[in-house]
Amino acid sequence: MAASLRFDELFDPDFLEALASFSLRARRVERGGRYAEQPSRARGAGLEFADYKAYVPGDDLRAVDWNVYRRLGRLFVRVFEERQDLPLYLLIDRSKSMYFEQPPRIAAGLKVALALTAIALGQNDRVGLYSFSGAGQLEAELRPLSGKGWLMAFARRLAELTEAGETDLTDALHRFASRPLRPGLLVLVSDFFDPAGSEALTAALSRSRHRLLLVQVVKQTDANPAAQADLRGDLRLRDCETNAAVDLAVTPAVLARYKEIYRAFAERLTAFARQRGAGLLQLDADRNALEQLEALFVNGRLLA
Amino acid sequence: MNFLNLAPWAVLAGIAALAGLLYLLQRLRIRHAELRVPTTLFWAAAVREAPVRVFLQRFRHWLAYLLLLAICSLLWLGFADPQVSDQRPGDYAVLYLDGSAHSAGGGDFARAKRELAGRLAELPAHRREVIWGGGHNLKLLSAGEDRLLLDKRLEALAPQAAPSGLDEQLRLLAYYGAYPEQVDVLVFGRAPAPASALQRLPPGMRVVRALEYPAGGSNRGIAALGVGPARSGAWDRVDVAIRIAATGGLSIGIENLQLRLAGDAGGPLALSQTAEDEFWVHDLPAQGDTLEVRIQGEDDLPLDDAARLILPERRAIGVALSPNLNASVRRAIEADPGLRPGAESPQVAVRNRGEAWGEGLPALEFAPLAEGRAAFEIGYDGGRGAEQALQDSVAALGLDQIDGAGLAAALQRPVGVVLQEAERRSLVLWSELLDGRYNFAGARSFPLFLSRSLRWLAGEKPWHAYLAAGRPVRDQAARSSLDASGQPAFDLLGADYLPPRAGLAAAGNEARLEVSLTNEEVSLRAAGAALGEASGGPESAAALGLAVWLMLAALLLLLGEWHLYQRGLIP
Repeated sequence: MAASLRFDELFDPDFLEALASFSLRARRVERGGRYAEQPSRARGAGLEFADYKAYVPGDDLRAVDWNVYRRLGRLFVRVFEERQDLPLYLLIDRSKSMYFEQPPRIAAGLKVALALTAIALGQNDRVGLYSFSGAGQLEAELRPLSGKGWLMAFARRLAELTEAGETDLTDALHRFASRPLRPGLLVLVSDFFDPAGSEALTAALSRSRHRLLLVQVVKQTDANPAAQADLRGDLRLRDCETNAAVDLAVTPAVLARYKEIYRAFAERLTAFARQRGAGLLQLDADRNALEQLEALFVNGRLLA
Repeated sequence: MNFLNLAPWAVLAGIAALAGLLYLLQRLRIRHAELRVPTTLFWAAAVREAPVRVFLQRFRHWLAYLLLLAICSLLWLGFADPQVSDQRPGDYAVLYLDGSAHSAGGGDFARAKRELAGRLAELPAHRREVIWGGGHNLKLLSAGEDRLLLDKRLEALAPQAAPSGLDEQLRLLAYYGAYPEQVDVLVFGRAPAPASALQRLPPGMRVVRALEYPAGGSNRGIAALGVGPARSGAWDRVDVAIRIAATGGLSIGIENLQLRLAGDAGGPLALSQTAEDEFWVHDLPAQGDTLEVRIQGEDDLPLDDAARLILPERRAIGVALSPNLNASVRRAIEADPGLRPGAESPQVAVRNRGEAWGEGLPALEFAPLAEGRAAFEIGYDGGRGAEQALQDSVAALGLDQIDGAGLAAALQRPVGVVLQEAERRSLVLWSELLDGRYNFAGARSFPLFLSRSLRWLAGEKPWHAYLAAGRPVRDQAARSSLDASGQPAFDLLGADYLPPRAGLAAAGNEARLEVSLTNEEVSLRAAGAALGEASGGPESAAALGLAVWLMLAALLLLLGEWHLYQRGLIP
């Protein structure tokens, strides 16, 4: 089994330092979390005034608004919005296609995953790490944790991930959805080469209770295979995961048809993200990950 | 590369075989180079919608298959060269059967006859003729004649010891209007055609050797046989030179040569070898005998193994010499070893005009200028015309060596020659010419003039340094060492005589001529392979290039196929 990145390659202090200006902001997290910095639907102690409610015995008398009482003669207490944490779930694709080429797609994916982990832990959000490969292969690598001190542990665990089997993203999403997790932000790092097809994939994604950030790790040759020097003549293409073979003669017609199909696939993913309000980062595995990540954050802020 | 002689059915069979082969190829699946990719998800979909280029699937596209078949068929036809028959529409064929010595070896002639008969059967009777090329070229079969006549006419014919007559025949064929515009000359035999003759061919005429012959072989033959004055200086002796041409690694020595003089092989003849191929016989008696040279042993060509030559006849001539003659005349005659002044039975007389000395003999007379005669007055016999007599005698007498213009200037009167027919030969000239003031008796040509004149008066036969078939006869008696041009008088008068073949022949008043083949080209057996095919004039584009056009068409279709393939219109 091939490892993706060595720990020292992944845990790059310069890279992590460059992330200091980035922040993840949720529109509103579901209640039930710990006190943190993200706006939530929970009402309680806090600084941001949210509403009034009629006083019932047991309420904190310090929250009674006496001005209202003087005008109306009834007791009302001020309700504040609680700041809680945003659960961040990293779901990493460990299929063979992520490890196949040089440089492997997984390297860029892990960089981005570690970057988001660092950002989330830095603002007291909880981060959970999961990986998947073939059918039934969904592993909880690290349960949701918070605190900057866990960053090293996440980096080490990410570096220890190895390739395992085929892509079955649809199944992984189903299994992940069945886990009793507080709704949060699901970051899916994958090439999205799911044999089930793009329709099944988007259907599975749309059933997710979490907000989505799709990190599609791509290469230039995905959209333009003619750039690949050895893709000439009569070929038997062998799938690196399934070992399935496809015989073809590389003709302009076949290339054109391939491009059409790939473009449709990419457009379907983009349309889904737009419709769902999900984030989509098409991460070129051959380019600098940090530069591409900056494009995702607007003024250093990503609104999840 | 081409398949020039491929029959039409063979060409069609080839196309059918190609179609079958292509069909089998279509049934075969090609071997793919394997390439691992992250996913075949999109490729599988692309291939489903745009079929891959495999032979089996390609075969399903009949138009593409037919295009491929058309390309292959055009290439096949191009290589086959569509000139399956050598005939062009409207052609006239001249079948030239070589009966020269070139085709006399082995079974060459029989093979040529056989092939000619076969080709003749394929040609329409009205568009062909057959010409025999031996010592003389002869039309064996005219256009329209039944070819069965040819067998009868060929019965008596065999190769002759003669050089090739193809050159002459090509000259005749090239005369404008003599033949149709398109003439194919098919040569059956080894007869060579000189490059100069091929270059003169008119447009539309083509010369093709119908049979191929390997060059060389094993042969040795007499390439030259000639006679000349003896190196020893004896006036009544001659030396004979023999040159041998050999090929195929054969060599020759003195022991391989047999000489017969006057039919006698036993006489001691001084034969010496001076070079690998050169032999000499010295001091043979100049008595007009026939010398035969023969090479012993077997080789490819027997015709060049023997040659004959008649040696000059140099006999002493008795001269009745008048005692009253000018001293310069007497001294010149006495100094000539071939003349016998005072012989008992003289053959010629030399006297002053009016003397009865040697009466009844052909005479050389000196007459005073005052008699009003011409400077040289020649009486000739034999009933020939004056022109022929002048032709025979001017050089024979050595008159061409006399400084006539200088004499005329010194004498201040014209120096002319008058010929008249007489019972016997005579020569009268001015006695004043012998005066020491004039450049006649003191000139170097004077003894020669006297010698030749007396020999002419005595009727000495001319002799020839060599006599070869197909080459002009040179009369050496008329040739002088003082002749600055070196051209024989025979040629100056434009009367070349070419003996057509080896053997005994007669020419004019000559008693006999012994002619030999002595042709190096024949002996070396070099002819036969070099002719190939030659055409006269620029070839028309259509004639040149049917094969080329077919290739171009195939190329065009290939480009079209590539274009269609690039655009994805064919798999």
